[in-house]
Parts: sequence; structure tokens; C-alpha cells
Amino acid sequence: MLRFGHISICIFISIVLCGVVFGAERFPPPDFDESGHELPSTDYITNITPRHTIYNYLDVAVLVAALSLSSWFVLKKRSRRSVFILMVFSLVYFGFWRKGCICPIGAIQNFSLSIFDHNYALSVTAILFLILPLIFTLFFGRTFCAGVCPLGAIQDLVVLRPIKVPSWLESSLRLFAYIYLAAAILFAATGSAFIICRYDLFISFFRLSGHLNMLILGCCFLVIGMFVARPYCRFICPYGVILRQLSRLSKWKVTITPDDCIKCKLCEDSCPFGAITKPTVEWPQIGYTKSRKLLALLILLLPVLIFLGGFGGSSLNRSWSRMHATVRLAERIYLENQGLLSETTDASSAFRATGEPIEDLYDQASVIRKQFKFGGWLLGSFIGLVAGLKLIIPSIRRQRTDFQADSASCLACGRCFKYCPKEQVRLKSLSEKQEIADDDKI
Amino acid sequence: MVKLSGITKSEVLVGLLVAVSVGIGVVALVLFDTTGGKGSGLDKDFIYDIGDKVKIDPNLIFYTESSVPIVTGFKKSHAIAIDANGTIYAAGDKAVRLFESSGNSLGEIQLDSNPRCITVSKDGNIYIGMKNHVLVYDANKKHLASWPHLNSDAVLTSIAVLKNDIFVADAGNRIVLRYDTNGKLLSRIGGKDNDRNIPGFVIPSPYFDLAIADDGLLRVVNPGRHRIEAYTFDGDLEFWWGIYSPNIEGFCGCCNPVNFVILEDGSFVTAEKGLVRVKVYDIDGNFTAVVAGPEQLVKSHEAEICQIPANCQAGGFDLAVDNKQQILILDTIKNVIRTFAKTR
Repeated sequence: MLRFGHISICIFISIVLCGVVFGAERFPPPDFDESGHELPSTDYITNITPRHTIYNYLDVAVLVAALSLSSWFVLKKRSRRSVFILMVFSLVYFGFWRKGCICPIGAIQNFSLSIFDHNYALSVTAILFLILPLIFTLFFGRTFCAGVCPLGAIQDLVVLRPIKVPSWLESSLRLFAYIYLAAAILFAATGSAFIICRYDLFISFFRLSGHLNMLILGCCFLVIGMFVARPYCRFICPYGVILRQLSRLSKWKVTITPDDCIKCKLCEDSCPFGAITKPTVEWPQIGYTKSRKLLALLILLLPVLIFLGGFGGSSLNRSWSRMHATVRLAERIYLENQGLLSETTDASSAFRATGEPIEDLYDQASVIRKQFKFGGWLLGSFIGLVAGLKLIIPSIRRQRTDFQADSASCLACGRCFKYCPKEQVRLKSLSEKQEIADDDKI
Repeated sequence: MVKLSGITKSEVLVGLLVAVSVGIGVVALVLFDTTGGKGSGLDKDFIYDIGDKVKIDPNLIFYTESSVPIVTGFKKSHAIAIDANGTIYAAGDKAVRLFESSGNSLGEIQLDSNPRCITVSKDGNIYIGMKNHVLVYDANKKHLASWPHLNSDAVLTSIAVLKNDIFVADAGNRIVLRYDTNGKLLSRIGGKDNDRNIPGFVIPSPYFDLAIADDGLLRVVNPGRHRIEAYTFDGDLEFWWGIYSPNIEGFCGCCNPVNFVILEDGSFVTAEKGLVRVKVYDIDGNFTAVVAGPEQLVKSHEAEICQIPANCQAGGFDLAVDNKQQILILDTIKNVIRTFAKTR
């Protein structure tokens, strides 16, 4: 109850601090000719001044240090407390101090745009922020999610009373993340928008400013996160999609027990993210045969889903292409010229003032639409593939003998360690060794 | 824990809370204006549009321009004063220039820096407020005295004299200074003082005017509070008038009125910046007439003024009144002196 109160107060204060969004400009503003004071720019909310280069390298150094520490805390020290402290630091540094930008999640878009637009220069910092967590994940699992990601940290702090999400629902909701990833790449690659940044749920908290709707959405996620732990990480995060796949291949994986699993079941419900898998049981022969038939059917269904996804994605090219400013402008100009809209917008007036031929604008919009048509095929096919695989994978029998942390879903938070009796033995042994060492010194 | 068909009450509550949060989140997401096409979402009271305030009802305008504007020749003018003989004093680029009412030049006083304010006593002495000190000249433009410098924060914006008392408005320090004729500081007036029920001056911009009325009280603009306050020479706050409103009867913006002058009958003529208006209020502070509005003062027959905040800085017009009760307006944008006479 006390923690609930603290969380409520934190949310309330955050909302109050973000109250500047309600500010209104007063006419006329004061002038400061005599004092030399310069009025701050009104676009400071959207235009973040570039930081000094040295700070960018410092950020990379801090990222490497945080990833290293997180990996060490999780895999070697096996200390939830250390991970928690690191997580709070990362929240303060990468979240509130660095204002959440640039983050590895958003860097996906920078990387995508740089591939398709040769005029777009990708900074070294953006590359390193994108790649370093991936490299660490390949070796140590999702230790980035555990103690370095500020978005994960802010959600982890509010986990109050986590409920277990049914596996079918968990798997279904996770499809959002794949859609989000594909859409983010498509919109970035076409130069339309960086939707991961635009819909960043927690940036309003980090910057103490932002759009009211996003602030509300962020608050909703935090409220949900009290009971459904880290909902953004599990169901939305596009970067998490990549990390999930890489962590399956990781060289060193997080283990619940430091020794052999004794199947005591004490850890069974310890994971708020539902990332602990149970030992499998023998499949009955009848069920096995039935499952094989189902699997065959689903495999046959896979190309159909891919085609349907691709077709659906391509069909939506008109809607998706409106995310691009040029297409929006072309449609606006067209409607105005047809007399279907009587009023002009700032954008349409500005375009007309340039004197550029409208046909050129239409041509540009047409090219962008074609890009979306092709991109829509790829996006839809990808989503169809993922959806098909999500149906197929549960039908594949896998043998597990121990209680294990699912390497893909495990966020390496370390909560489960203390539930393992073998871990308690290890800690006691360590403590005794330390005492003996101290005695020897004396 | 009370169970309802295998589900505890707390689980129901959690479910409801999650469902409500999801609902609110979805609504927030759907209504999120990604392209900015929906505008700010604020109601019309917050729209930065002063178009309807620029146009003033002609029935309220009691004055018309009565003579050709006097060109001061300044690039940046600041203040105007008029003496008992009708000589006009305009303060601008490192000088004070003297004019007849017809516009003929009567010479100038050269200064080392830009003057901020000016007044002329009945005996003809000219008091010029510089940034942080006062210079005194006689009627023959001979330098008489230079008073001690105030601190570096001082920004003198107005000066008034009555017999042996000289009052100087210091916008930088938000205080009125009372001097004797020798430049000796006698007292400070208007500083925040809870015991004397004085709220203090709110001065966001370097506009802070004062004048002495015939009732023997000092009138000081408190621009941030959009009112004119009456003080005794001893610094007691007696009363005030003025309301905040963008409508014709009030003062709007961060800080208005910027300047004022008192007519023979005790009425007040006020000048506002931003939405540039010169208006008349009776002795009790009731709005009575308009001398000139934005259409007359800024751009003839064009309502387009101050469309962006940076343009709103201009228009801190200064005022003076001559023996015929004509109102002289120092147009600090065009750097001319315009004369308006009452016609109704």
C-alpha cells in the first residue's frame, strides 16, 4: 500500500510538472531591450539543441559501462539489487539527463533511413547505440533490457502486483511489436516519419514536457504496468523484437539456478514477465498424431498468410502514405483545386506561393505511394509470416527437463534468483568463504 | 479474500483498472494529432488573433490629427516633453531636440549616451533621465548638474517635477525615487511593503511612467498589474484604477499602459504598446474616449500589426499635452511627433 502511494505521488508530480503544456502565450510579450535578456525560443520543445561531441562519446562510454555492469551483475554476480541500482542510474542518466534521445529503439529508424536515403548522414553515436546492445545480447542475453534501457526502467519501478498473462494472450499481444517494428522501418525508410519517437510513451516524463495525449498514454501504460509488468517491453517494443531473436543465440544465458535444477517449483511464479518455462511432459500418442496433422496444416497455411498479409499491407498504401508530408500536401492541393475544400492550409498556401508546378508535386506523391505499395507488400508479408510462425511454433514439440528462463522473453531482471534454493546455498557458501577469509586475515 | 466465481474482488478491481487504462490509452492514441492538422486544440480565447481589437468603433474616437507630424530626425526616439511656452522636447539618439509647435527646430542638447526620459519644470529647467542618472540643464541648454549614478540595474524611464520635488521612475529596480532639486535622494516610493499594504511594481518591460496630478498625489503606472496607482509624496498608496482587458476599456498584454499624461481637467491619456492605442480616462479612471487606435497610429487603414511576438516590441509611444489640451504623441516607430486635437 505504501508503494502504491509512492507511485501515485510520483505520477501526480510528473503530471503537474508537465503542466506547462497548458501554457498560453500572452499578447504582447514583454521586451528586454535594456537588460539584454533574450527571450527563449518557443520551439525548444521540439528542437533539441545538439550536444557537444564529447558528450556523445561520453554517452557511448556510459552505455558500454552500463551494458558491461548489467551483464556482470546478471550472469556473474547474480544480484537483483545491483541490477536494480544500475537500472535507476540508467533511468536518471539515459532518461532524465539525456532526455531519452538518442536511444537504441529509435536508432532503428535512423539506420533504416540511412540505408534508403543516401543524403541522410547517420551519426556514429546512433550506430553505436543501435549495435552495442545487440552485440551484448548476442553474448549475454537481454541485459540491456535489465539494467540499461530507461523505458524498461521506468516501467520496472512501478511493478506493483504483477498478474500472469495467459501464454496465448501474451503471444498474440506480442504481434503488436512486430507490426510496430515493420511499420517503423517502412515509415523511416520512405522518409515519412519516425513513429517510434513520435509515439514515445515516456518521453514526456523524461523531458517534463510534451503532447498531452502522449502523457496520458504514458500514464496509462504505467498504471497497466503496475499489474502487467513492463507492458511496453513485452508487447510493443520494436527493438525488443530484435533482441528476442538474438538472445536465443546468446552465448551465455541467464539461468534461474546456479547449479542443476531440482524442480522444486519454487521459482515457478517468480517471474512477473511470464518468462519461466516449465519442464515438458510426454505427449500422448493420440495428441501427438493430432498435433502433427495440425502442424502440417499450419505449414500449408503459412504462404497463404504471407500472401494475404502482403496483399492487405499493399492495399493500405494510400492510408499509410498519408504519413508522408508530400502526399498529404498533394492530396490537399488536389481537393482544393477540385473545389472540394474551400479553405487553404498554411502548407498549401506556402506551396502555392513557391510557384512550383502542381504536376511535380503530384509526381512526387505518386512515387512515394509506389514506395508504400511495395513496402506494404513487404510489411504485410512479414506480419503474415510472424503470425503464421506464432501459430506453428506452439505445435512443435520441444523437450525441456528443467525450469528455465526463456532466453527470448527473459528480461534478465534477476528476480527469480532468490527463489532458487541452490542459489541460497551458493550465497551461504559465499558468505562462509568470506568469513573464513576474514578469519585467516585476522 | 472474498471470491466471486473463483475470482477475487481485488482481481476484478485490477481487471477494471487495466481495462479503463487501456480504454483511455486507446482514446488518447486515436485522438493524437500526428500531423498537427488539428491545430492547438485550445478554444478561441487562446487563439493569437487581435484582428477584431485593431478596429475601433469610430464613435469612440474623439480626436483627429490636427497638424503635420514633426520629424524628430532620430533613428530611435524615446521620450517627449513640453514646457509652459509650448516648446517641444524630444529625446532620442544621444540628444534632446527642441521644436516649436509648428515643427521648427530650436536646437538641441548633445549628450554622451541615449536619454530615456525628460521633463521641464515651470522655471524652465530641463531634467533628462539617462539610463541610471539624471542630468539637469537650464532653459538656455546650459548644463547645471549631473546627479549621482544609481546602480547598474537602474533603468530610468520617467521623470516628473513639482516645485522642489523631482520624482524619477526606475524600471530596473522597480521603484520611484524622490529627489530634491539638488539631486539629493529623499526617499523611495512603491517598493513592496506588506505593512503599508503596498504590493510593489510589476514591470516586465522598460516602461514605467509617472506624473504628478493637481490633487497633489503622484500617479504611477504599475504596468504588470495594468493599473495606475496614486501615492502620496511620503509613499503611501492611496488608491488605483485600471483593469486587464483586451477590450477598449482595459489594458492588455504583459504590461500596459506604457505611458500616460494628465489633462487640465484631471483626465488621463494613456498609451499602450503591442495593441497600440491612445485613450482617455476620466479622473476616476472610467474610459471616455479614444485619441487614436492602431489603424491611425501604426498603418493607416491596415489592421495588420504585430502578427508575430517579435513585432510587438514596437509601439511604446510617449505622450505630452500642450496648453490647448492637444495631445502630442511621440511615434517611436516612425520617430515623429503627431498632434491630435479634440473634435467632439
